[in-house]
Amino acid sequence: MTKEEILNELQPIFHDVFDDKDFIITNESNAEQVEDWDSLSHIRLVVAIEKHFQIKFAFGELQELKNVGEMIDLIQEKIEVN
Amino acid sequence: MKCYTYEELSVGQSAAFMRAITSEMMQQFRAVSGDNNPLHTCVEFAQTRGFRDRVVYGMLTASLYSCFAGEYIPGENCLLQSVHSDFLHPVFIGDVLCVEGKVAEKNDSVRQVVIKAVIRNQNGKKVSKARIEAGVL
Repeated sequence: MTKEEILNELQPIFHDVFDDKDFIITNESNAEQVEDWDSLSHIRLVVAIEKHFQIKFAFGELQELKNVGEMIDLIQEKIEVN
Repeated sequence: MKCYTYEELSVGQSAAFMRAITSEMMQQFRAVSGDNNPLHTCVEFAQTRGFRDRVVYGMLTASLYSCFAGEYIPGENCLLQSVHSDFLHPVFIGDVLCVEGKVAEKNDSVRQVVIKAVIRNQNGKKVSKARIEAGVL
């Protein structure tokens, strides 16, 4: 799966978690730019991503990521390992 | 109070407890919440609306979900994240409620358990159900 395909699949997940159909994510999007991207939203995002892509993150693994682009890199790695 | 670690919890694990609803609880909840709606405070009003007695605050009933998570599963290590509850049937003073919950999901990457819980009255009628999300510290 390409990074662009992963980004496209992430978009509706973000819509659901943030309950905002107008929210457009880019590779540069991060928690500092998005007011509602709090710790609870982050937990929901992680769980939704795991279920959608059928992957598992290690505890705290996503805390180190700077933005959606890095998240996509990690998702791509996990998909390839599967 | 139970004190499970995340590792000690497993999908399917369950717990239950009983709680009788009293008029004192209603007074205390009214004082804490400031909700003076007559459906909860006036028998005559409640009867004009088709109920046999004043209706117990739904959120008072739902507060038992807090007790479930904080005292039973996960217990002492609980960090309550969300409770989505439905109020399915009215509760009245004097009802004896049974709160039952079961771990439905464990999300290791965020150390979260998802609990499906129900509350039944003394007649076995389901009065509330909830999805509880709790972190385990």
